[in-house]
Amino acid sequence: MLTVSELSVSYGAVRALANVSLTVPPGEVTAVIGANGAGKSTLMRTLAGLVRPAAGSATLDGQPITGRKAEDIVRMGLALVPEGRSTIPDLTVEENLRLGGLWRNRSDRAASQAEVFDLFPILGQRRHLRADTLSGGERQQLAIGRALMAKPRCLLLDEPSLGLAPLIVTQILELVSGLARNSGLAVLLVEQNAVTALRVATTGIVLNLGEIVQTGPAADIASDEQLRHAYLGY
Amino acid sequence: MTTFIDYLLGGVSSGAIIALMALAIVLIWRSTRVVNFAQVGQAMFTTYVALTVRDATGNWIIALLAAIAAGAVLGLVVHWLVIRPVKRVDTSGAIIATFGVLISLQALAGMLWGGDTRGYAPPVSNDGIQLAGRIWPFSWYDVLVIGVTIALVIGLTLLFTRTNIGLAMRASAFNPEVARLSGVRVSRSLAYGWILAGMVGAIAGVLVAPTSQVSPNSFDILLVFAFTAAVIGGLDSLVGAVTFGIGTGLVISLVSGYSDSSNAPVVALVLLALNLLLKPDGVFGHHHSRAV
Ligand SMILES: Nc1ncnc2c1ncn2[C@@H]1O[C@H](COP(=O)(O)OP(=O)(O)OP(=O)(O)O)[C@@H](O)[C@H]1O
Ligand SMILES: [Mg+2]
Repeated sequence: MLTVSELSVSYGAVRALANVSLTVPPGEVTAVIGANGAGKSTLMRTLAGLVRPAAGSATLDGQPITGRKAEDIVRMGLALVPEGRSTIPDLTVEENLRLGGLWRNRSDRAASQAEVFDLFPILGQRRHLRADTLSGGERQQLAIGRALMAKPRCLLLDEPSLGLAPLIVTQILELVSGLARNSGLAVLLVEQNAVTALRVATTGIVLNLGEIVQTGPAADIASDEQLRHAYLGY
Repeated sequence: MTTFIDYLLGGVSSGAIIALMALAIVLIWRSTRVVNFAQVGQAMFTTYVALTVRDATGNWIIALLAAIAAGAVLGLVVHWLVIRPVKRVDTSGAIIATFGVLISLQALAGMLWGGDTRGYAPPVSNDGIQLAGRIWPFSWYDVLVIGVTIALVIGLTLLFTRTNIGLAMRASAFNPEVARLSGVRVSRSLAYGWILAGMVGAIAGVLVAPTSQVSPNSFDILLVFAFTAAVIGGLDSLVGAVTFGIGTGLVISLVSGYSDSSNAPVVALVLLALNLLLKPDGVFGHHHSRAV
């Protein structure tokens, strides 16, 4: 379980997050939705240790993660798939995956790799190809696979839908939510594309200008017309 | 025709040494995005260490190992004491700082070992091998140099493709953020790059010493050739550095053979300029935009 309390982040004079509190329980997907510039990526990058918060804290299963280095946080069990294609194009599919769990021993890594290939069979077929030969959807699968190689208890996905066809996004997100249900993974999904995100999520959180304006069951948020008009622009 | 082939043969082993020095420059560029102009200075310094150890032990291999160890330490020291603090402020400052390191090392070597040119006897004969009724422009020492270079290139390739440290170094160079998110200690990977480059440069220094002699400035010309090879090879590419390192050696040998050896650096600079005009990313350089 990931617990975030009263997290605030500023970039110089710009306040990107203000007193954000939320929980991400295991076994389900929690979706944070919000318009451009709402602070979604800032939230993810802060939790992963890439950005220092001005105030507040976050814990993973009771252990504090704020203030730690990104490379230590992932070893503690929180893995981020950042916005954009976070694969390394010059490395092969297998090397990208190996990278994701480099500090783990060989047999643990092999077990995780087998799980990733079960989840995303196309990666198994392309394992010896360079990542830059993959399609956008395959690269997103590889990015998620790389994060899963750390055997995280909590997985953060920052806008996996970016630049992908809706059908492919739905397929990938269905796989991830299935993984969460089956293995007890806690997933925090951040999306501008609210419809898709709320479909796979259990809980929805609406973020606007760095503040949480609504938290509730995903289905309720999806059907709240006022909320949609006010913050999500559709 | 025989002369042409002789000139080519004569260029292979000096090309191998240029290739090693270019490799060292590429190793640092890949990890730290800094062109290390001090590389030949570090190699000169470690060659003096080798000279001292060799005087004491009389053993070429022990002297080589001492130079490699000194190269590793020196690489780490330069990185931690000079490059890291300066680069935190600004990258072009770090490149200028490498010139500062070069000049300081040359001054220090002059103080420690004097400014006189000293010889460095090869461990095996450096005279042309006699075969099929003629003397070839190729010695057993050239065989040794080429053998060491090939072994080193194979070793580095295995390091980068087969080991975790190698993968961590490549990932840190290509995309530090994704590397950190994967648990890689990126600053340590950068330090490994400097250590490795220091070791490779040290080997190049000891290998070139019998032909160039040893003085605080005697490796400067090697910098021109190695830099040319590294840039033409794309700065990012180990294969490029080796290919164009050897290529540069051949060109120099032909130029020196058909005209005069003093023309060689000019030709190298012309090649460099042409390359920068025609193919700024280098022949083996990467063109794709990197993920942010
Ligand atoms: N490195 C930075 N320096 C300064 N300001 C930043 C930085 N990163 C983000 N911001 C600002 O912080 C605010 C939140 O940005 P953030 O990237 O977290 O939003 P987002 O919800 O992820 O948006 P998007 O949907 O476009 O990805 C924006 O106003 C943005 O301009
Ligand atoms: Mg974002």
